[in-house]
Amino acid sequence: MKPTGEQANIGAPVELDSIERDLKKLWADGNGALTRASLINLAVYSEEPGSLAGNTQLISRIMENHACRVLVIETNPLAASDHAQAWINAHCHVRAGAKQICSEQLSFKLDGTKLLTSVLFSHLDSDLPLYLWWQAELRSPLDPQLWTWVDRLIFDSREWPDFTSQLQLVYAAQREAAPREMVLCDLNWTRVLHFRYAFAQFFDDPVSRRCLHEIEQLTVVCGDGYRSTALLFVGWIAAQLEWNVVGETAPLAFLNQSRRRVEVRISEEGSAPLASLRARTRDVEFNVRRAECGDLLEVAGAATGVQSEHQLLPGGDCDLASLVSEELMRGGVRVVYRRAVEKIQRFLR
Amino acid sequence: MMANPLREGLTTRAVPQPCAIVIFGATGDLTHRKLIPALYNLAADGELPPGTTVVGFARRPKTDEEFREELKETTKKFSRQTVRDDIWSSFAAGLFYHQSDFEDESGYTSLARQLDDIDAKRGTRGNRLFYFAAAPEQFEPILKNLKAAGLNESKNGGWSRVIVEKPFGRDLASARELNGIVASSFSEEQTYRIDHFLGKETAQNILVLRFANAIFEPIWNSRYIDHVQITAAETLGVEARGGYYETAGALRDMVQNHMLQLLCLVAMEPPTDLRADSIRDEKLKVVRSLRRYDVEQVAQFVVRGQYTAGAINGTDVPGYRQEEKVDPNSTTETYVALRAIIDNWRWSEVPIYIRVGKRLPKSATEISVHFKRAPQVLFNRNNAELGQNVLVIRIQPDEGISLRTMAKIPGSSLRIEPVKMDFRYGTSFGKASPEAYERLLLDAMSGDATLFARRDEVEEAWAFIDTIENGWARGADPLTFYPAGTWGPEEADELLARDGRSWRRL
Repeated sequence: MKPTGEQANIGAPVELDSIERDLKKLWADGNGALTRASLINLAVYSEEPGSLAGNTQLISRIMENHACRVLVIETNPLAASDHAQAWINAHCHVRAGAKQICSEQLSFKLDGTKLLTSVLFSHLDSDLPLYLWWQAELRSPLDPQLWTWVDRLIFDSREWPDFTSQLQLVYAAQREAAPREMVLCDLNWTRVLHFRYAFAQFFDDPVSRRCLHEIEQLTVVCGDGYRSTALLFVGWIAAQLEWNVVGETAPLAFLNQSRRRVEVRISEEGSAPLASLRARTRDVEFNVRRAECGDLLEVAGAATGVQSEHQLLPGGDCDLASLVSEELMRGGVRVVYRRAVEKIQRFLR
Repeated sequence: MMANPLREGLTTRAVPQPCAIVIFGATGDLTHRKLIPALYNLAADGELPPGTTVVGFARRPKTDEEFREELKETTKKFSRQTVRDDIWSSFAAGLFYHQSDFEDESGYTSLARQLDDIDAKRGTRGNRLFYFAAAPEQFEPILKNLKAAGLNESKNGGWSRVIVEKPFGRDLASARELNGIVASSFSEEQTYRIDHFLGKETAQNILVLRFANAIFEPIWNSRYIDHVQITAAETLGVEARGGYYETAGALRDMVQNHMLQLLCLVAMEPPTDLRADSIRDEKLKVVRSLRRYDVEQVAQFVVRGQYTAGAINGTDVPGYRQEEKVDPNSTTETYVALRAIIDNWRWSEVPIYIRVGKRLPKSATEISVHFKRAPQVLFNRNNAELGQNVLVIRIQPDEGISLRTMAKIPGSSLRIEPVKMDFRYGTSFGKASPEAYERLLLDAMSGDATLFARRDEVEEAWAFIDTIENGWARGADPLTFYPAGTWGPEEADELLARDGRSWRRL
């Protein structure tokens, strides 16, 4: 069962109807020295040709911290006939001292879209939740059978060609899943997570909290092509502070609860999704910016014009594997996300 | 004041506030091995509110810089995360040293000034957390002087809290006295008695296991449970703690606090809600319900032992009496086994066996719940040896839960053997659990006392322990001996054998 050629890192090719049997053999080859672990089914769906290898690399990193059964699927939706090929593999990591913890990966190359649901359903680890990482464009009509099984839908709204239509399809999928609560995990939202923590902590103190309602100006610097990320961040503040959008077009501005105007400036430079944030009241300035080392944030709050001592907070990594890992650590429904999106949706078109 | 609206969806716990943490005994082991590494890890994880400041209070002369350098070295050694220079320098900017004798009143006046200064410069807003990492005999002068300097009172809308390390006394009388001393300066709401066992992930998971899973609670009673064993085994001897251990012994050092806390979590009724006092009320009822033993019963139900020379994992080790700072004729126990009974409806006549010991073959802390055997019909009819279902909650190491069930051995004949379903934190979750002190420090900064012992809990625990100590003092239970590297004295095995049971093999 030696993998060869192009498929070397996705494992050994197997017949579809013998996957479970070959998986057993794979584990038996470990002579009992390996511990198989799985807490979730993670399905990764892509329509990008050659994505199996790239996704396998991502999965290997994700599995360092998350034991799961992974089903990596590459589909050619334009194929004339329906056909499936499969591979199996195991990712092992040393954890908890010297234990080899292993999780299995099943890879599928599908011609046509008809086989997706059946292939997926046939190979889920029973009783474990299904997280579906959808890397392609969502298209109507949606397969209701699929969505009723999905517990979390992971996607990256930054990649969407048309935010509004894709979001509507996501909401439609969520309705298909009802009454089960399908949690929406937008990786573009995850990109702003550490900035949210860093900004929120300024206002844990009751004295500083008063400043929340005195913010007059927000300045966000984001990376080239990350305007949607910056908008989600601004949408979050606006939604949580109950600001209302002024006008339909740029420049973006809000009216706060006291109907005072809050100016928002977003500029794009560099490569970090979010580089810095400044919130100003008349007297105080709150700053969060990504430190030079990349994975830390420098935070400082002080009276305007006064040099203040900064502190460091975790900034997280913004590569896809880290973002997905972050999502897998978190639970709960995403009410705040929906609220933030609603606030700035018209600017994300 | 409304809550911070930006926190919605970001955190499910009370948010800690920036404060000045004053550690009394700042040059000691606890500070270097546990407290500062815990605070550093919190900072590295972004859990420590910016502005949080640590002031080390101790006798030895030292500059802030020297203090920081020393702490950096020990944090590198004891931190669960690698110490990064950038994070350390940000964290270390909030580390200060205050040199003073604990008895010197002027040292506290200058401390008060320093804290005011810190409030202004670092935004700690009058919030103070005093950590007593000093010897208990130092508590009184520290508390008296804190009060005299007005540091026990909240200032500028902030708060003032005190964390007290064990031992909380050495018997009921001294515990009451100590609590009285603390109470003369700090109210009960301001007082946080730390028991690091409660900060462990698996200890917290006991309540989740019991009350978030519908399958356990209906069978969590005397109708289905045969008995419970709580074990804390250590391969270590007394190491450098011989002097302290001589005055404490295993009963005071482990049973009065850690073991009884675990027992409470296993035995308590469901609280009405998750507020600190609701949970502590239920724990208190358990300790109150522990049957008190007279002298004869102590002799019958408690075993005390001391290790003699032996070998641990192939290495020769000395006996307790040969350890440093230990009396060569010492009668201090290094091992205790006891049979406790909780006199309430749920646990009526279900024995809870507790054993703690040093220099045992393995280090392991766990709770095992042994269920009653299946009725002697069907598979059990001709096979008296059919085992019990056992639910094991492993506290350390290898934290997790396992359940032993019976299964048929494959084959044409009917053979039934126990099999184990095993959940391990380390296997299932990649993220390392925070150290107990991280969680507890954060809780104290957030004002959440759930995982801290309340005064009445501590005093009730001592009332129970005192009956055993009194029995021993009246010669109820002669000291028994066990060679290091064995599972304790034979009398401990007999304690269970009399009930037709045996200790779980670890």
